[in-house]
Amino acid sequence: MKMQVVFRKGERLRHIGHLDLMRAMQRALRRSGLPVKYSQGFNPHILLSFAAPLAVGIAGEREVMEVPLDTPVSTEDFLNKLNAVLPPELACVAARQVDDLHPAPMAALFAAAYRIVPAENAEAFQAAAAEFLARDRYMATHRTKSGEKQIDLRPLVFNLVAKPEGLHAVLSLNQSGTCKPDLLIAALSDVKHIPVPACRVTRTRLLNNLLVPLENA
Amino acid sequence: MNLEMNARLDRLLDRVEKPARYVGAEVGAVAKPLEKGMGTFAFCFPDTYEIAMSHLGMKVLYDVLNRDADLVCERVCMPWSDMADLLRQEGVPLFSLETRTPLRDFQVVGFTLQYEMSYTNILEMLDLGHIPVLASGRAEDMPIVIAGGPCAFNPEPLAPFIDAFVLGDGETATLEIAHAVRGLRAKNARREDILMALAQMPGVYVPRFYEPAYRADGTLAAFEPIRSDVPARIKKRIERDLNLAPYPETMVVPYAEAVHDRIVLEIMRGCTRGCRFCQAGMLYRPVRERSVERLMDLAEKLVAATGYEEISLSSLSSGDYSQLSELVKQLTERFSAQRVGVSLPSMRLDTLVGQTLADSAQVRKGGLTLAPEAGTQRLRDVINKGVTEDDLKNAVSDAFQNGWNSVKLYFMLGLPTENDDDLTAIGDLAKLVEDAYYQVPKGQRAPGLRITVSAATFVPKPFTPFQWCAQDTLPEIGRKQALLRGALKRKSVTFNWHEPELSFLEACFARGDRRMADVLLQAWKLGCRLDGWQQHFRYDLWLQAFADQGVDASFYANRERGQDELLPWDFIDAGVTKGYLAREYQRALDGAVTPDCRDGCQGCGLQGIAGACAP
Repeated sequence: MKMQVVFRKGERLRHIGHLDLMRAMQRALRRSGLPVKYSQGFNPHILLSFAAPLAVGIAGEREVMEVPLDTPVSTEDFLNKLNAVLPPELACVAARQVDDLHPAPMAALFAAAYRIVPAENAEAFQAAAAEFLARDRYMATHRTKSGEKQIDLRPLVFNLVAKPEGLHAVLSLNQSGTCKPDLLIAALSDVKHIPVPACRVTRTRLLNNLLVPLENA
Repeated sequence: MNLEMNARLDRLLDRVEKPARYVGAEVGAVAKPLEKGMGTFAFCFPDTYEIAMSHLGMKVLYDVLNRDADLVCERVCMPWSDMADLLRQEGVPLFSLETRTPLRDFQVVGFTLQYEMSYTNILEMLDLGHIPVLASGRAEDMPIVIAGGPCAFNPEPLAPFIDAFVLGDGETATLEIAHAVRGLRAKNARREDILMALAQMPGVYVPRFYEPAYRADGTLAAFEPIRSDVPARIKKRIERDLNLAPYPETMVVPYAEAVHDRIVLEIMRGCTRGCRFCQAGMLYRPVRERSVERLMDLAEKLVAATGYEEISLSSLSSGDYSQLSELVKQLTERFSAQRVGVSLPSMRLDTLVGQTLADSAQVRKGGLTLAPEAGTQRLRDVINKGVTEDDLKNAVSDAFQNGWNSVKLYFMLGLPTENDDDLTAIGDLAKLVEDAYYQVPKGQRAPGLRITVSAATFVPKPFTPFQWCAQDTLPEIGRKQALLRGALKRKSVTFNWHEPELSFLEACFARGDRRMADVLLQAWKLGCRLDGWQQHFRYDLWLQAFADQGVDASFYANRERGQDELLPWDFIDAGVTKGYLAREYQRALDGAVTPDCRDGCQGCGLQGIAGACAP
């Protein structure tokens, strides 16, 4: 069986990279004594899969990972044992047992919700959201390892809502197209002709193609 | 740190390379409130987080101090240049990893001195921490700045910057200092009185109470206390029994990967081999072992507390640990089911036995590192590295038969009495290793032989038989490196060498006196920092600093000292006597090998310390 786990990457740890986070989780699982599965080979490592890597600088409220287990463990037991050895900033908030045939979280992932809080120009920035949504298309330059690419951001942005605690954004995150938060931030600044503000970004939910949180699907 | 400062610091992290270095909040990190009345200690590592978190001494002292209910110890590392610049620009003081407390707010600021070329980082960290770099400029309420570690055995190049040095083993001494400072601060004692109290403690050197005098030729004429109530000679501290000495039962598990990211078990301290170039081998005497029982107990607790997948056995020469095969056997039996590997760095190639290799390879196969140190038997005898070509051949043959395909060989270039034949012989040794590999039948050996040969430039160090020796000049080192490159042109061999300029400066500081402090201060003012990192090393600025201060670098690096010369570190009693070192130097020049002192006392000086040496 597998355990699907919802955990947080707290504000204090938002500068930790994905590989660092993965290593931290593996070591926590080793401390927990839970019946995890190991890979074969000379340097065996714990089998573990994450729905989506979280970039350096971004906190996560409900991140999803999947832990294959050798023997069944109740969710309550699992959460107690793992949280006992995890720092509060990486606490698991929920878990559920799924059978081995349940699609991997990575495969079900379609979009992610973010909360974006600009350090300055908050009002202009939030007003830009409505203007952006009113457009048919918005061409942006996407820099990748292989060079620069023009992409239309508009269809990759599913929703933008200005809320008192920050801008709520639902952005595409799948193989056919991904809008990273920094691309959206640059686009919104461009729409209002304001300098790109430093932003505090938090990923609040990971969603499937019905925009339902993975953990509920 | 107040909330506003904390928020500013937090925003800085969005703008720097590898921000995970500055995050803290790791598993195993201490979260004690810094309450009034607590003795507060900032353990400062003068290099980046990844290096700091690999260092055993920090883990040990962090644990020792934090176990004490009245004390709290937090870590501070050298920020990378981008962060250092931002801190300065934004007026944010250098802070601790745990509670982000400014360096300035600790009672004691303690640096570990592992490497001479990290000295500019000490000045940079003090300055970033809003503490005057010169001890004489520190106000009454400012932290007491102390330093310890191997480089403290020649403290003079740092004398104007450090309030007090601690010599020798740090476990008990550091605790005593932290308590003393806490107690005196509680009574509002004056800074001068605190330093005076420290100067009375065994193993503590307070440089402001001592003064050197020089002869016209620049050598030391005298070095004496300027007041009668401080000791003229400072004796290093020794932890007598490692089984009773404190050892951490948990370790900080960093998020950002450290250079050595694993459990470290110190199995033994000290070494009896007596290699004549090796400062650690002299400084960490006498040899003391931890029992297998104690080590198994520590391993159990550390594996549970950290979740690490590797245990590394640490000592200067692990093959000399008397219970090594028993320990490795018990560790692998106990932990292989949990997939915890055991690694054995620091193995001498004459003690690498097939079974140990096979044991340690059972779970994890790392690289194999061997240190013949010199190319010919003649030169190996001079340095008293008692290994032979046969030892090397047997060790690598064993390794290749056990499935290794990569070997690292460490050598030194510029050793006393070295000639060109000694260097070309290094090429012959590489060939010997290659032959040993091809003698294992195809199919039985792991494919893809890789031999890495590293040649460090020899740096003469205090408290070694070579403390009187001249270092080769830079042009001579360049010539020898070229010669060696030629001797190592083989497909399977990669040749690494160190920047000779860095070793030259290291030599200046290793045996420098207080006048080197002026050079250090000037170099830092000119912008030198992170010198150990190639991208930051500015030899041109260092040359300018020497010129600005009118100091001749070759006086320190390239001059053979007379046997009767007063050396800047002669006031320190490191256990080994100057007579023993002189005797060993003469034997080196005679090419005479000195046996391991467990096979007969060589009278190094430690025998004078009651109970120090095993009978």
